[in-house]
Amino acid sequence: MSEKKDPINFKRRDFLKVGGLSTIFGATALASMPKKAAAKSINKELVDKLVTTHDDFPCEVRAYYVPPRNWDHVQTRSIFHKEVKAMGEEVDDEIIADGKAFVDKMNFAYDDSKVGFTQIDKALLAGSWAMSNFAAGPAPATIPDYGTTLWEQRTKPNPHALFDNDYVVEKKAKFESKQDAANHIKRAARLFGADLVGITKRDKRWDYSKFLNPIPPMARKAFPGPPTPEQMEEMKNWGPDKFITDWNDFPFVPKTVIVMAFEMDYEGFSTTPSYIGGAAAGTGYSSMSKTPYQLAVYLKNLGYHAVAASNDLGLSVPYAIAAGLGENSRMGQVVTYKYGPRVRLAKVYTDFDFVEYDKPRSFGVMDFCKNCMRCADACPSGAITHDVNPSFEPTHENKDIAWYNVKGVKKYHIDAKKCFKIWGEFGDDCGMCIAACPYNKPDFWHHRLVDGITAMMPGPVHDFMREMDELFGYGNVEDEEAVKKFYSPKGKSYDGH
Amino acid sequence: MIFTGVEMLFFSLGVLTTLGVGAVVYFNRIYKFKALTWSTILTGLFLFLFCIAWSWASFLEGEPRSSSMGLVVFGIPAIIFLVLGRKFALKK
Repeated sequence: MSEKKDPINFKRRDFLKVGGLSTIFGATALASMPKKAAAKSINKELVDKLVTTHDDFPCEVRAYYVPPRNWDHVQTRSIFHKEVKAMGEEVDDEIIADGKAFVDKMNFAYDDSKVGFTQIDKALLAGSWAMSNFAAGPAPATIPDYGTTLWEQRTKPNPHALFDNDYVVEKKAKFESKQDAANHIKRAARLFGADLVGITKRDKRWDYSKFLNPIPPMARKAFPGPPTPEQMEEMKNWGPDKFITDWNDFPFVPKTVIVMAFEMDYEGFSTTPSYIGGAAAGTGYSSMSKTPYQLAVYLKNLGYHAVAASNDLGLSVPYAIAAGLGENSRMGQVVTYKYGPRVRLAKVYTDFDFVEYDKPRSFGVMDFCKNCMRCADACPSGAITHDVNPSFEPTHENKDIAWYNVKGVKKYHIDAKKCFKIWGEFGDDCGMCIAACPYNKPDFWHHRLVDGITAMMPGPVHDFMREMDELFGYGNVEDEEAVKKFYSPKGKSYDGH
Repeated sequence: MIFTGVEMLFFSLGVLTTLGVGAVVYFNRIYKFKALTWSTILTGLFLFLFCIAWSWASFLEGEPRSSSMGLVVFGIPAIIFLVLGRKFALKK
């Protein structure tokens, strides 16, 4: 008689054997890499496969490229048009009107009948910008040397202050290695509030060649002591002949630029265009006025010179690319790996150079931008080009009078004049391009997975991914429901329970 | 709140994966799967788990449309694959 075999004879003892063996196998694998967590190791290997590291700046720059002056920036030229004119330069009436409309609305306007532009939304915008306005004044409009971005490099504490560490100490701190120094600086930046931080060499190409600064030196300090007779004399003689400074007036020769990125609120940006979206940007600007200053004081206390900068001193986007924080994009914003374009950027210039520099990295953004064009479609003023490929010269309809475009860098050129016009219409800094970008996602695993898969795929798949992104409901703009969602307490757990 | 939504998600995925693999092994002992059956059922199981992961994660991030689309785009193929897999397994 043959023995009948039970096909599912998997007894408890067998289960324990399999379980025990699996546990031993797993524990052995984990023990073989004691210094790094297994998940982190796998994650790093995947990221290394998707991300390309470059030795040089990843965008082609031609010899005829000329670094801009800070008043070549459309916003600076518009808002400080009287000073620019006083120096003998022409300013387009149209941008003066756009700037005036923008400033008037930013300061005074709200409309209780318009969702996202009510008094309550305006109060949110005002609060978000408050720290930036107070501490860094005109720095967002590229004006340097004010408040927390002051160039002053004292070597002694302020005798009028109770506590003051904002001076360069005599003894220079020593680090074990360049990597050790980079680790310390990055950890400090993160502690002070930066979400991303990278370190790169100072590159004169990305610095403003000259600076307009119409504010008299005595009025630039947030917490001044009593004015000296020399300062009073300088104030009396202040005029257009003193508005321009350049790197010869800078207190030291910068060798290193530390670039920081600050995440802007996802739900806030989903409401664009609105004062809530503006408040998400304003909160970023307030961080830009605080964290770089703290890092500059940190460097001064290590014995080195340092100056904090937000939009002033240099072009933040190429510096962020050079420091490995992200990649260039169609909309001209840096797209970071973790937060996409939903970041604000700030910098610290220092003469400390015993530090490991980061390398530029790319992860397929510029390739994706060729097919996507969601930012260009969402832009209400048509400022973002629909060109398939980037170019060295602007191609938009104002290209012949586009004094605001840098030429000679291979990128997508934005029509800044058109962009600025919409700021005047909305009374906030728009941000619809950032909200519409498929890389603008909350920090969730499935988006990083999709980004990774997209980066590995060829162009036609990018078209499909763009369509799917839209179909799945991401990147909506002008969505009144987004305003309700922003204020809704659902899922927010304010008390932490 | 002791566990966050994402923690609950991955814990549940672990439980579902274990149950799913257990069920496949169980039915393999009964029906002796062929290669086609294996591939169809495992694809269906993967899509089913991915559908739950995607939809739950989208719901947690506050994107209900993405959550619903996840159910349609990954959930329906998952069901199709699992039904096909069942058909292949029962085929003599």
